[in-house]
Amino acid sequence: MRNVAIAGVGYTNVFVSKRKDMNAPEMIAEAVDNAFRNTNLRPEDIDAIVIGNMQTFEGVNLPHLWASEHFCGVGKPVMRVATGGTTGMSVVHAAYYHIACGLYDTVLAIGWEKQSEGDSQVGLTGIVLPEALALVPLGLDMTGKQGMVFSGGGSTGAASFQAMSYLAKSGGTIEHIDKMAALERGNAALNPYAHLKVPNCKPEDIAATPIVSYPLRFGHTCPTSDGATCMVMCSAEKAPKIADKVAWINGLANCASEPTTGNLLEGLLTDPAEQMPAKIASKKAYEMAGITDPKKEIDMAEFYDGFAHQSMMWSERLGLFDEGKAPEMLDKGVMNLDGEMPVNPSGGVLCTNAIGASAMNRVSECALQIMGLAEGGHQVPKKVRNALAHGWGGLFQYVTVTVLGDTPRKM
Amino acid sequence: MEETRLVQATWDLSQCKFKISGDGMKVLLEGLREGVFRGIKCPQCGTVYVPGPTFCRKCFIDIDEVVQVSDEGEVETYTVELADVRGNPVEEPTISCMIKLDGADTWLIGVVEGIDWQKVHVGMRVKCVWKDASERTGSLSDYTRFVPIGD
Repeated sequence: MRNVAIAGVGYTNVFVSKRKDMNAPEMIAEAVDNAFRNTNLRPEDIDAIVIGNMQTFEGVNLPHLWASEHFCGVGKPVMRVATGGTTGMSVVHAAYYHIACGLYDTVLAIGWEKQSEGDSQVGLTGIVLPEALALVPLGLDMTGKQGMVFSGGGSTGAASFQAMSYLAKSGGTIEHIDKMAALERGNAALNPYAHLKVPNCKPEDIAATPIVSYPLRFGHTCPTSDGATCMVMCSAEKAPKIADKVAWINGLANCASEPTTGNLLEGLLTDPAEQMPAKIASKKAYEMAGITDPKKEIDMAEFYDGFAHQSMMWSERLGLFDEGKAPEMLDKGVMNLDGEMPVNPSGGVLCTNAIGASAMNRVSECALQIMGLAEGGHQVPKKVRNALAHGWGGLFQYVTVTVLGDTPRKM
Repeated sequence: MEETRLVQATWDLSQCKFKISGDGMKVLLEGLREGVFRGIKCPQCGTVYVPGPTFCRKCFIDIDEVVQVSDEGEVETYTVELADVRGNPVEEPTISCMIKLDGADTWLIGVVEGIDWQKVHVGMRVKCVWKDASERTGSLSDYTRFVPIGD
């Protein structure tokens, strides 16, 4: 097995609600073009491509085929990966395996979403619809209150169960969620590629937004974004030939538990705030990266936080703080951009959510922080040696983890 | 560039035929007709599922031991819907709870009524409100809601 480096990152010029000036393949091409510009590589230097987006959100099938010319994939091995919210990081992992196994040297990893062209809520409904519809003949009234409860009010409705359970367990309050959201919206204002930017955002600004599904407010939720990310990944042998600065992928793992939302037919067994897969996957990834004490050795983290309470939850479940300690750490400023454990310096998924790119951006942002190339003022002030990237999705039960470093791991 | 155009269309859900084997669900529904909750217990690890699958999700063995659980339980987590799907405020908020019935290990989704939503809390004790025996048909609508009981 070989070590794998990230040699460069290309984003679309912006991440916005509606990218009206181009269609999806053109938008993908913009990110790929920027990756080529940033690395001085050309299409002929690329051996294979892995691409992914959220299934069903644009209402089109096989996007890896109709966009193949736009990511220079014609005549080359192309693989599409779709694992829901974690898609972007699963793409990175698939590209890693392409290279680590020795078959390919230089691989493009592409994650994208153009949510304005589809209906994400319809896509999400498709996840629980088979279960809900199977219950209708058994007496479930989809039109009454029961139906509203079972359909869960979309992802925010389902996440609010998780948020309330997390608050009850950690002793945190809704004011902590306000504070976490304000911190990330403020960080996003320093990131030129963020979607929702609120300079100097205050917890009071977030607290003024209406409650969507208690305890989650509008200000606690992520946007739907259009955008794409392209990462150039290469083998250790190739890295010095094509890049001055690289970040190394030193540990990676994924893990699933049983569904922690939905699962109406066979009884819900697991608390959605427990997130056992995050504990297992991070432990494996730390071991692979040779990290024994993540609290001390990890310098910053990028989490998949579609909802603001999750940044606190993930920082505990991924071993960066003790269980129940995140609200206190937030109050102490530990999670700030200039704190001891900066969390989502980019603004996180909470501020930019082109779903197929969202989990990939966690990896690309960690890589840029390690290379010292984060633009616009969101580079953390301290030296970043090891960084943690995290993806989340599925039925609230699938987690991907990538540990990055400034030096390659010992094989 | 032109603005997004809308094309009206329908999605015929009758084309989707979602089926379940439903042996565990049948145990629950038969109990509901009698005004009790029944699930299935794993003889190996003791986990009680309501409604029950026919295999234990922890031990991966077939299970068929029917057990009755209480119609009282504890709120494990909850959310309150203060707006409808279009974002308009609703007059009467819906309190949706995940309830662990006494004797069960799984959570059941239920609407809780008869309490100000701001007073709901994790750990709150609730009891099922049943339809009259004459109206119960062995369906999920046999239990309509839960109400708080003294802590």
